[in-house]
Amino acid sequence: MAIADEGQLVRSSQKGDLDAFNTLVQAYQRQVYNLCLRMLGAAAAEDAAQETFIAAYRRLSGFRGGNFRAWLLRIAANICCDELRRQRSRPAASLAAALEAGSPADVPSDSAGPEEEALRRELGRHLQQGLATLPAEQRLVIILRDVHGLSYEELTEAMGCSLGTVKSRIARGRARMRDYLMARRELLARQFRHKE
Amino acid sequence: MLEALMQFRHRRFRRDLSAYVDDMLSERARRRLEAHLDSCEACRQELAELRVTVEALGSLPMAEAPRSFTLAAAPVAEVRPRPAARRLEFGLRLATATAAFALALVLIGDFAGLPGGGDEEEEWVRGELYSATRATPAAMEAAPVGTPEPAGIADMPPVVATPTPAAVRVVPTETPAAEETPPAPEAAPVEEPAISADVSEEEPSEKAALEGAGVEDEGQADGAEAQAVDEEDEGGGLSREEAVRWLEIGLGAGVGALVILWAVARFRRSIGNRP
Repeated sequence: MAIADEGQLVRSSQKGDLDAFNTLVQAYQRQVYNLCLRMLGAAAAEDAAQETFIAAYRRLSGFRGGNFRAWLLRIAANICCDELRRQRSRPAASLAAALEAGSPADVPSDSAGPEEEALRRELGRHLQQGLATLPAEQRLVIILRDVHGLSYEELTEAMGCSLGTVKSRIARGRARMRDYLMARRELLARQFRHKE
Repeated sequence: MLEALMQFRHRRFRRDLSAYVDDMLSERARRRLEAHLDSCEACRQELAELRVTVEALGSLPMAEAPRSFTLAAAPVAEVRPRPAARRLEFGLRLATATAAFALALVLIGDFAGLPGGGDEEEEWVRGELYSATRATPAAMEAAPVGTPEPAGIADMPPVVATPTPAAVRVVPTETPAAEETPPAPEAAPVEEPAISADVSEEEPSEKAALEGAGVEDEGQADGAEAQAVDEEDEGGGLSREEAVRWLEIGLGAGVGALVILWAVARFRRSIGNRP
């Protein structure tokens, strides 16, 4: 979502204008929440999203211009990675189980028939499980690129790494996802045949 | 060889497929890859699968936010321990540990009987009691001659019994010197380690009494003279003990002052570093 006067809102927010900041929150909360949802699962996504906006407000003085969405998603990504590290340190908590339990594949589609909806949900569940098998940095870049549609330039900002690293991570992440989905080729064929 | 070269080129082209899907290859690299794709069935297959994968990922729906994440109030500024403050914390811990170690050393020194130690005070008390009890039979012997005072001295409490050596010294006038010399080594360390405030307060008068006694007894037996010399040495021991005590106090105060100075300096520096 693009905001008409995003730069002005950011500058006002930096001066302590909470209303201006909340306008930015409303514009980006869906993207931030969805990134957290895909990275962490439904159980932890809400807290991570809220934490992102609190952290963003506190760090506004550190924003030196550029792409605000990429800057915000970078904060969200860091919070998600911290949470993943915390989850890894807790042996009882399984990320795959958490992601599956709060599977965002259950998100209803706007206009889908019952059969298509069932297929879409099944594919979504598999995709989510496939994403959960990726290392965190590959999962992050795949979600940001292929789900959220960030440009490569935005990705370098959001991930804080070079274009070459971004390309390499995307290639490796996609190759893994391809392997995962090709093992469920039938599901993919049904889904895309149905779409045709 | 040709097969290996072909495999190498194939792997390199496979690596470019993802960027090709996103149209992120340079013009030259794109043309090379497309030429390769014309002749490589496996890469064409892989490209098709990659496109399906990307399409499937793109078909994932975006969930609605379950609630608004707008902030009701401006969050309180982040209170992160600054690096300087963290170093300060470590330094304070180190200083505390050093001070505790120094205190432990002083206490160990006291209990181990080093100069100025409390144990020596007990030695002094024991020495006094011992010399007093030793003096008692001598006094009993002297009693027929008409010197009954030492018998009463034996009952006096140790601190109040400071004139005891003088009393003991009076006795040898009536008894052989050989009998009186043994208590001397016992009595010698008597006042030296005395450290309690009570004893210290009495030191001057005690010392004067001892000196007076020494002067009075100058013309008496050799044993008594030796004892008088010992007692003068005791006066020197007292000053050494005082010195050790003041040294301890000085060291403690010095460590404390250094810690405070260091802490103040760190705080000033950390405040100075703030933007």
